[in-house]
Amino acid sequence: MRPVVKNGIATFSPQGFLDGNNTNSFLGIEDVEATIHLNVDMILVSLKKVVFFNKNGLDTFIKLFIQIRKKNHATVGFCDYDNKKYAAIRKFYQDDINFSLFKTLEIAYLFSSSFKNQSKNVLIYSSDRSQRSAIAIELHDNGHNPIVVQSQEEYDEKKEKKETFDYAIDSTFLGQMGQKIATRVTGNAIIYTISMFLDIEISDKFNIEYHSNSLNVGFRLFIFDAYKVISMNVHALNFFSKLASSAAEYNATICFVGMKFDKTPESFRNTLEDSGILFYAQMDDILGNKELLKELGASSAANVKNRRVINKETVLELPKFINAAAVTIEMMTNSKAVKESASVQNLVIENRDAKVASSIGYYGDMDGMVILIFPIGIAKKACELLIGENTDDMELILDSLAELVNIVGGKIKTLLLDEGINVNITLPRTYHDVKSLLEVIENRKGVQVDLSFNGDKFLFFLTR
Amino acid sequence: MITKNEIDSFIEKIPPAPNALKETMRLLSAGELIRAAKIAEGDLALKSYLKHIVNKPIYGFKNEVSDISQIFGILGVSLSQQSVHNYMVTLLSPKKWTLFKLNSKLFYELQANLSKKWEIILNNLGIDDKNIYASISLLPASILVTEALFAQKKDDINLLRTTKALDYNTVLFRLCGVTLFDICEMIAKKWEMDDSISQIVQAASGVKHSSDENINNLGKWMHLLLFYELSKPQFIEAGLNDFVDFQVEYVGDIYDDFALLMGIQ
Repeated sequence: MRPVVKNGIATFSPQGFLDGNNTNSFLGIEDVEATIHLNVDMILVSLKKVVFFNKNGLDTFIKLFIQIRKKNHATVGFCDYDNKKYAAIRKFYQDDINFSLFKTLEIAYLFSSSFKNQSKNVLIYSSDRSQRSAIAIELHDNGHNPIVVQSQEEYDEKKEKKETFDYAIDSTFLGQMGQKIATRVTGNAIIYTISMFLDIEISDKFNIEYHSNSLNVGFRLFIFDAYKVISMNVHALNFFSKLASSAAEYNATICFVGMKFDKTPESFRNTLEDSGILFYAQMDDILGNKELLKELGASSAANVKNRRVINKETVLELPKFINAAAVTIEMMTNSKAVKESASVQNLVIENRDAKVASSIGYYGDMDGMVILIFPIGIAKKACELLIGENTDDMELILDSLAELVNIVGGKIKTLLLDEGINVNITLPRTYHDVKSLLEVIENRKGVQVDLSFNGDKFLFFLTR
Repeated sequence: MITKNEIDSFIEKIPPAPNALKETMRLLSAGELIRAAKIAEGDLALKSYLKHIVNKPIYGFKNEVSDISQIFGILGVSLSQQSVHNYMVTLLSPKKWTLFKLNSKLFYELQANLSKKWEIILNNLGIDDKNIYASISLLPASILVTEALFAQKKDDINLLRTTKALDYNTVLFRLCGVTLFDICEMIAKKWEMDDSISQIVQAASGVKHSSDENINNLGKWMHLLLFYELSKPQFIEAGLNDFVDFQVEYVGDIYDDFALLMGIQ
């Protein structure tokens, strides 16, 4: 069984009965290997479709969790359970819970790094005081507004006032968390929260895929919230220096806020400053200063000086990219794609109204970004298979469009691998209109292909 | 990915039930076990199948049973009819399984397990109706239909399922407006099975509930039984655990009785 990956969370969904005899069958050796190497924030097992489980049944997954934690720093645990199942798991493992429990997958998303689900008002209750605090801290680090209540009665009472919060969290337990660096988006800046001792593990904890994706899609200001950092060693110093060099390629700025140097050599500060990293005492020094924000590049998403051009390697593999997009849309719409024209040019979009777009980056042996631009009608049709109904809910359509472009990315990865070209794909991004897309890719040259599905036109654009 | 035309073409290619089978069924229906056995003896594939199934450990016979009249005699009318129905469904089996890691032996084992446990359930519910006994035989047809329709689309489906956990039934319904169980119903019609058989199997899908309370109740038991079997290691490894969605809420009210009956602790 392979997990489904969405918004940085990989989820297994076993069905039926979980006991000691069968759980090994859910996870073959290849499945375990593939899961360990996933670059995700969390790996969870959904108990939504499980009618019966015992401790032996869960133990197999817990062994997987231990293996995962040895190799990468993803949060691991179970989700989608009712109160009865929650009580059973707590009883099985009592004080020996090294994994997390999220009542629903939606709640788990709040704890993962993603462009979505930012700044939500979250009502929290746990009978365990330290859990209440831990949940609140994690949510705060991820850019949410936690509202902690002290008693079950108060929670029940506040839960009635649905307009005062976006999510309510109870029956949730955080095991070992905070291994991945919390990320949040504020306007056009991305804020990473780092803490404690920064050493060689920073390169595992930092989601480089997310960072590359953010650079690719136009973010230019990255702030490290370092108030809680105690010290850093030379490995972390090297990591940040390299990060600064790669950011320079995109003309991006990296800042540290609240970093103290009483336990870190002052010379490190100089090295970091030499590599282009800026230091500020307070977060408000940056976010509250519009002039400075503009200067740092956070006011414009398209502040790219070092634009790269489409190279021969990309052109040679172009049919595979087009094929991946066309075949996926054909699959989702049960219709046939016809290529109408293809040329190397700046992106030209006729009739910009009522169009949505999505993009996905790839990096590795080759790098670049695929952009798909749909009239809303085709986007809706292409997403019908994923949504299950015809809907006008734009948030749902864009969410599904991200899944669709993720499938396209997966197909590109497979097709290129057949040729021995190894690439990874970034997280997908969607754009609710053409204007927001153009802000990111304005004046970049690329290959534009006009495709037609049953007479409906959609655009494929490949750029670097 | 899958079009309505492909489904129509699949249904069209299903051969009608052979005459010998029809005659065996007719005689079994009339309670004429010996005459039915004589006809069945003439169909070597049916004879071999029945021997294979009945001698599985789950049937619990100490000595090998090889004579068809003996088999029908031991099973009685309802279970004999159910076994012949099971055989009819195997006629849809592919020569080589591609989508699921199955083979005929494993598929027969699933049929035998479902049939035997369905008998236990019906005994417990105090039901003695030959069509209700036979209904379990149509359930595994949903697996055969999935294999037939999706075998060539394995890569597409795998790609789709890396992003969204959609079961085959949902994918088929969203693409073509019919479910795997609708196709099972079409097969049942083609083979002139009793309507009640397909109604129970439709209810057992867990997504198309029946307005008839009794059929719905049987559908719940069958739905839970299916997932009880599909939670066995060999069927999980075959890739059957998530081919259709398990509807936990649907079976909530009968779960405790089921667990007691199957000795689940």
